[in-house]
Amino acid sequence: MNRLRRFFLAPAAALLAVTLAAPLAIVCAYSLMTRGAYGGVERPFTFENYTRFWDPLYGAIVWRSCWIAAAATVLCLVLAFPLALFIARSGARKNLYLSLVILPFWTSFLIRTYAWMFLLRDTGLINTLLQELGAIHDPLPLLYNNGAVILGLVYGFLPFMVLPLYATLERMDPSLAEASADLGARPFQTLWRVTLPLCAPGLRAGSILVFVPCLGTYLTSDLLGGSKTILIGNLVQNQFTSARDWPFGAAASLVLMAVAMGLLLAARRQGEQML
Amino acid sequence: MRRGGLAVYAVGVYAFLHVPLLILAVFSFNASKFTVWQGFSLHWYAALAQDRDLIEAAGNSLIIAIVATALATVCGTLAAYALWKRASGWISGGLYLSLVTPEIVTGVSLLAFFQWAFRFLNLRLGMHTVILAHVGFSLAYVVVVVLARLRSFDRGLEEAAMDLGATEFTAFRTVTVPYLAPAIAAAAMLAFTVSIDDYVITSLVAGVDSQTLPMAIYALARRGVSPMLNAVSTVIVAGLGALVLVSERLRAR
Amino acid sequence: MGAAGAAACSRRPRLNVYNWSDYVAPDTVANFENETGIGVRYGTYESNQEMLAKVMSGNSGWDVVFPSNDFIGPMRQMGLLAPLRAGLLPNLDNLDADFRHPPWDPELQWSAPYMWGVTGIAYQSRLDPAPRRWHDLWDPRLAGKITMLDDAGDVLGAALKMLGYSINSGDPAELERAKRELIAQKRWLRAYVNAEVRDQLVAGDVAAAQAWAVTAAQAMQAAPGRLAFAFPEEGFARFADTIAILRESRRQEAAHRFIDYMLRQDVAEQVVLAEQTATANGASRALRDNRVLYPPAEILARAEWEEPHSVEAQRLRDRVWTEIKSA
Repeated sequence: MNRLRRFFLAPAAALLAVTLAAPLAIVCAYSLMTRGAYGGVERPFTFENYTRFWDPLYGAIVWRSCWIAAAATVLCLVLAFPLALFIARSGARKNLYLSLVILPFWTSFLIRTYAWMFLLRDTGLINTLLQELGAIHDPLPLLYNNGAVILGLVYGFLPFMVLPLYATLERMDPSLAEASADLGARPFQTLWRVTLPLCAPGLRAGSILVFVPCLGTYLTSDLLGGSKTILIGNLVQNQFTSARDWPFGAAASLVLMAVAMGLLLAARRQGEQML
Repeated sequence: MRRGGLAVYAVGVYAFLHVPLLILAVFSFNASKFTVWQGFSLHWYAALAQDRDLIEAAGNSLIIAIVATALATVCGTLAAYALWKRASGWISGGLYLSLVTPEIVTGVSLLAFFQWAFRFLNLRLGMHTVILAHVGFSLAYVVVVVLARLRSFDRGLEEAAMDLGATEFTAFRTVTVPYLAPAIAAAAMLAFTVSIDDYVITSLVAGVDSQTLPMAIYALARRGVSPMLNAVSTVIVAGLGALVLVSERLRAR
Repeated sequence: MGAAGAAACSRRPRLNVYNWSDYVAPDTVANFENETGIGVRYGTYESNQEMLAKVMSGNSGWDVVFPSNDFIGPMRQMGLLAPLRAGLLPNLDNLDADFRHPPWDPELQWSAPYMWGVTGIAYQSRLDPAPRRWHDLWDPRLAGKITMLDDAGDVLGAALKMLGYSINSGDPAELERAKRELIAQKRWLRAYVNAEVRDQLVAGDVAAAQAWAVTAAQAMQAAPGRLAFAFPEEGFARFADTIAILRESRRQEAAHRFIDYMLRQDVAEQVVLAEQTATANGASRALRDNRVLYPPAEILARAEWEEPHSVEAQRLRDRVWTEIKSA
């Protein structure tokens, strides 16, 4: 049994070693080195890249990334829950409704982000319509701000919240809600005190599936934030390209991962296991 | 929650999800470059068909996705089976880490690793690095999906097969795999989607010959409004939509 | 590479050319391929840093790149460039007198000047008063409609000029003052964009943009009468984009042929007409009366060539740039 098992695990282990372990080791090493003159890394080992994070400038970036990710997650939750409820209760048409949710997810994330660029620009559809209707005189600055980034994130990650919620709601025993109603609870009370707690695993899974990618987002803030809204993902990318400071970028990457891992560990519960 | 109210709400959310894409599609037929409708035209689709670079990028994306999906599905299924038989902290931990690592970090770490490794190997960034990267980040998705299905599989079936004389591998092949087939298919679709759609990691580890469709789309999107991009989007959405509908029909049968 | 592509590749030699976007005429590359039988894979970038990040490893796969003049020195020091063999480049004689012995490469050993330009302010002509100085990009009345280039050198250069310093300054005190000005500007700033601003100018999304003259000329051509370009009174940057061959290239001969082709008068003229650029090719007479592309001498007197920096200065500038972007 052991030989077969090891044989089966070998390819995955090799892949993980090459695409995860080794790269992360290199990043750790780089984060302790000094930047080369025009890029790359050089020998003097130093902690300077980490101490640089004490600068409130970078603390602000970490904070901004966290609250934008949190806002997007909460919005996703609020939007997704009733929808998941609807799909879970829709009987025969479940698969159709699920497919309709998944379909945008299947299209490119980039395209979905671009769709919002198209809509939100000063000469985009929304502003053009509002001006035609006479509702506004000058175009509204809808693009290139935090709100646009959050909107783009919610739009991109909503399916990730709907699916786990749906999975939990679908497995929930409907008789529990019925019993609650029979005992005289109003619909809202049933929802708040019976349904929601029961689908807590789905809520947690969905929140994690949305929050973590949002925390490290780069594309959305790049295209919708106008390179003014600098989040950790943008900071990392900048260091590896125009700012030519690989060690600092490496340190920023590890800080980002630490924040993500910290939150994940805090949210972990006994017995819940994906892997 | 009244059923009617929920239904209305659902319609609203579906509209939110789909209308932007529909608008993109509508304006892909706009004769003008700007957001004022100036007549129906297939001009942008014609431009699309003649854009050699875009078509090459699409071809690259497909090749990468197919190869990466195949490799990730095989390796992931085997790994999931092994993990189900007996858990392994290291592998599970590694897969989990791979799932939660932000894309930008995966991308730059792979870039750093490849650049370092290429000092000793006589290689450069190219299709192979992209494929390797894609297999790397798809693996965890495959394992999660297949493992979830395995958790509802009765071990006794395999044991029965072995009692009847089958080797462990034969039992796996003839009893477990057919049961896993829908999950393997779902995992493959997931890996394919993730691979076709990836921009951040691919852009960092791509070489001269491996421009992919998302990279081409990003180059267009950066330049501002481009109706050709609307046309690309519409083609992709329509194509994938058709694929999903067809697969739904096949499944329902 | 697709199966068809691979088959085609094995039949004819392939040159990998990495250039700025919108910097050749639609048929320039195709004509070269037809004339010489050398296939060309043509990629584009939006900034020098983007190009450098890709080729820095020394085995990127690109053969020919188009660095700006201030990148030639650093790239040479990093050992990235291959020396040019003047014998294979007869068309070097076409170069304008100004560019035969440029300060960054006096013997043209490493680069061939291609196009040149300046950095100024592109704006909607309806603006009143019209922007005349860098200081006008700090105007609160234009809040949300101002863009700056996404390039440390250009952005710092504008602020330094506004404060009366040299665009190439590496002095920490001067850079610190520039940084403060630029962080203050972010309140009104829409975005940091390079050539992408062209479409936004044409569409009217942006009122005033720090832009390269080429971008402005392209925008003005697309929206006649609505846009204008100003050469800031405090002074502005001048740069030249050059063609260089990477040392890693194993197709040096084909690369030389490409450069020689690009130095031809008719090719240069086609590019100028198609993309509204200012060429270093003296033989080309196209668009010489375009004041945006070829400003008169008294305006050019206010220009300062962009120059590479010492290592410490470069580090300081990069760091300041990160701080500006992160604020």
